[in-house]
Amino acid sequence: MLREVKEKLFLCGIATMTALTVLPLFHIIYSVAVEGLPVLLRGGLEFLSGTLAPPGDGLGGIGPAILGTFILTALASLIGLPIAVMTGVYAAEYPESILGRLTRTLLTIMMEFPTILVGLFVMQILVIPMGSYSAIAGALALAIVMMPYVAVYTEEAFRNIPFTYREAAFGLGLTRFKVVFRVLAGMAKKGIVTGMLIGMAKVAGETAPLLFTAGGANRIYFAGVDKPVGAIPLLIYNLVQQPYENYHEIAWGSSLVLLLIFLAIFLPLRLSLKEVKL
Amino acid sequence: MTAIETVNLTIHYGQKCVIKNVNLKIPENVVFAIMGPSGCGKSTLLRSFNRLLELNPNAKVEGDVRLYGRSVYDMNPIEVRRKIGMVFQLPNPFPHMSVFDNVALGLKLNSLVKSKEELREIVEWALKKAALWDEMKDRVREPASALSGGQQQRLCIARALAMKPEVLLMDEPTANLDPVATEKIEDLIYELKEDYTIIIVTHSPSQAARVSDYVAFLYLGELVEVGKTERVFEKPENGLTERYLTGRIG
Repeated sequence: MLREVKEKLFLCGIATMTALTVLPLFHIIYSVAVEGLPVLLRGGLEFLSGTLAPPGDGLGGIGPAILGTFILTALASLIGLPIAVMTGVYAAEYPESILGRLTRTLLTIMMEFPTILVGLFVMQILVIPMGSYSAIAGALALAIVMMPYVAVYTEEAFRNIPFTYREAAFGLGLTRFKVVFRVLAGMAKKGIVTGMLIGMAKVAGETAPLLFTAGGANRIYFAGVDKPVGAIPLLIYNLVQQPYENYHEIAWGSSLVLLLIFLAIFLPLRLSLKEVKL
Repeated sequence: MTAIETVNLTIHYGQKCVIKNVNLKIPENVVFAIMGPSGCGKSTLLRSFNRLLELNPNAKVEGDVRLYGRSVYDMNPIEVRRKIGMVFQLPNPFPHMSVFDNVALGLKLNSLVKSKEELREIVEWALKKAALWDEMKDRVREPASALSGGQQQRLCIARALAMKPEVLLMDEPTANLDPVATEKIEDLIYELKEDYTIIIVTHSPSQAARVSDYVAFLYLGELVEVGKTERVFEKPENGLTERYLTGRIG
């Protein structure tokens, strides 16, 4: 009898802890939807394409920030993805070499690295010499944040290919380059693409690396890669600190837009992940 | 003529010696079986012939392997693997490619064909050689993963044959197949020996007796006995061979 009660209590305890763990997720989605949706509906298309309203006067739009987020993510991908995929291939192909083992360890550390330090680093090497915040500096910081995710996923994808396929490919007299890029890459494709999308979704929502790099722009759309550029997370961060009520509303609306972008990348990803099997 | 010859071949994995001073002469256009219990080094020996062993960074080869008198260790490994094709224990066609692309892959990526027409001809020829054409001629665009295990293994044979190798290595090609599929592969091996030297590894003495002209018995990395299959099965010279053939070790 006592044992049954204990077991029930234990189960209840676990269930409560689990609920507490996932509660914030649902609360975030709930509150962002409840606060953001009216703003989005009221602002209409203008909210997605227009420029920022003056303090205390209407909603205007967050067009520059949305465009900026896309530009930053695209530029960061352009810089980061090729390097990261190559790094992942290297770590998978030469796991026994000193450099290969080191790469693996460093990648894991990089994944956990405080992203604000990445922002500081890029400020040092790019923003200060150039004399201004810029899209390229923001993109570089995001690329650095993105790369370990992509590299680790790429490495895992190649490692998960059974050895017999590697033997089969080498057995046909192919060079290592062709074995990797013409045969195995096709089998690792889903894992690599998953890593790329996770990396992109991750940086699309990053704020810290952009604080000292991208600079932010809310009234001009895009002036060039060497000029400051906006981003949705950066905009939210700035608006929330302002004492104007309409800015808080815009921040809620922006949050919903960010959440939707994030979900648009992640939901299909999670659903298709089940298929990543050989 | 001797197709493959090993000279004082010794192979280590790290500190462990898995092949001990093996000297073999394998004549051309025969089926040569290497039999022995699991873990005796059969697969390792086979992989030293086409230098596939080098994919394992711990493997160290001493002595020599010669292909028609020429040391494979003086040749480019890529050239060696084109001349010595291989079929593996697990049917391993590339699952993301079609039947056609699996057979065409080696030719295409090695730029060994001049035209699409030539490629199609060779793929058809290889599928015919592997006794797969009749079943596959309307299905060459299907993914290889849709085939049955036996068909997949014959597809792997076609993939190896398409490279027009001189020697074909088979590492327990029927270990994962049902008896019907096994019989088809064994028939195929019999037909292929007209054009190729086939070296087959098997842990089953009865399979060695069925398919091979010559047989070598490997035990704990040592070559115990080698000779014409009939002779070895009827009058084994070594007591160890006799015990293996009668099922007392294995």
